[in-house]
Amino acid sequence: MSTEKIHPLAADYLSRLRRAGRGLPRGRLRELVAEIEAHLSEAIDPEASDAEALTVLDRLGEPEEIVEAERPPGEARQDRGGAREWAAIILLLFGGFIFFFGWLAGVVLLWSSRVWTIRDKLIGTLIVPGGLASVLIALLVGSSVQVCSGGGPNPLHCTGGASTGHVIVSIALIALLVIGPLATAAYLARRVR
Amino acid sequence: MAARLTKMVLPATLRSMVAMRDTAISQLRRGVLEFCVLALLRDTERYGFELVRALAAADGLVTSEGTLYPLLGRLRREGSVETTWRESPSGPPRRYYRLTPTGEAALDAFLTEWTRFRATVETLLETGAPT
Repeated sequence: MSTEKIHPLAADYLSRLRRAGRGLPRGRLRELVAEIEAHLSEAIDPEASDAEALTVLDRLGEPEEIVEAERPPGEARQDRGGAREWAAIILLLFGGFIFFFGWLAGVVLLWSSRVWTIRDKLIGTLIVPGGLASVLIALLVGSSVQVCSGGGPNPLHCTGGASTGHVIVSIALIALLVIGPLATAAYLARRVR
Repeated sequence: MAARLTKMVLPATLRSMVAMRDTAISQLRRGVLEFCVLALLRDTERYGFELVRALAAADGLVTSEGTLYPLLGRLRREGSVETTWRESPSGPPRRYYRLTPTGEAALDAFLTEWTRFRATVETLLETGAPT
């Protein structure tokens, strides 16, 4: 491509556009990027000052805005989350408490929704399996785990969970297991709009 | 600046009325935009950048130039315009847009409707009574 002949700010804009357009069908995004790239190389001289480049980019608008316009109006409205999306978010967060099956139902709803991209769905599934109930599982498992230091066939030192190191690791882990699902839920909710 | 002033001065009800008016205007703008594109292509073919700059130069029609490219793509998929890539004297190849018979028919139909619509609305706004 002619990217090396383009102003650095224009190149940066194009990569932002590619990132914003991840949810679009590939062919559409490729065409859109080609058109905007042609526009930028026409409008901004590679040697232009940053101020001139920024003026052109301002007139062009935000990449997100362009991607939004690329979605057909019907689809955009359909993309706004309905009951299914909110049920998915709630089940992913709290469903684990219903014998874990609630969380599985959340995953099914997550993957059957057309609102989220594959990336969103992977995040929703993997951070953190079980949702907030994973804290409970971690606590149950953690209470029966021993931390041993040293190596070889005969560990030098084993603790049953009372050492300061163990406590700190446990608290950090629990904090992660709480923050992870909450952050994911917030992320998914934001993507629903 | 004006928006910030509006926010400070107006009470909530008035503010939402202003917002509603803004939405109505932007919807109207969006609705007529594609026919403005077709009109610009009526007698001549133009390449993307040229077309976008011509539309952006028209007062109050376009807020961000970039959103016109998705519109051009849609018109092409719908068959209102057709395109050919041609080498440019400088920089990457240019995509030239040309009106198709379908596009021309759509433009003519809109022109008839628009003339009637504009006359009706103007009369109503000016006299407070329908024609």
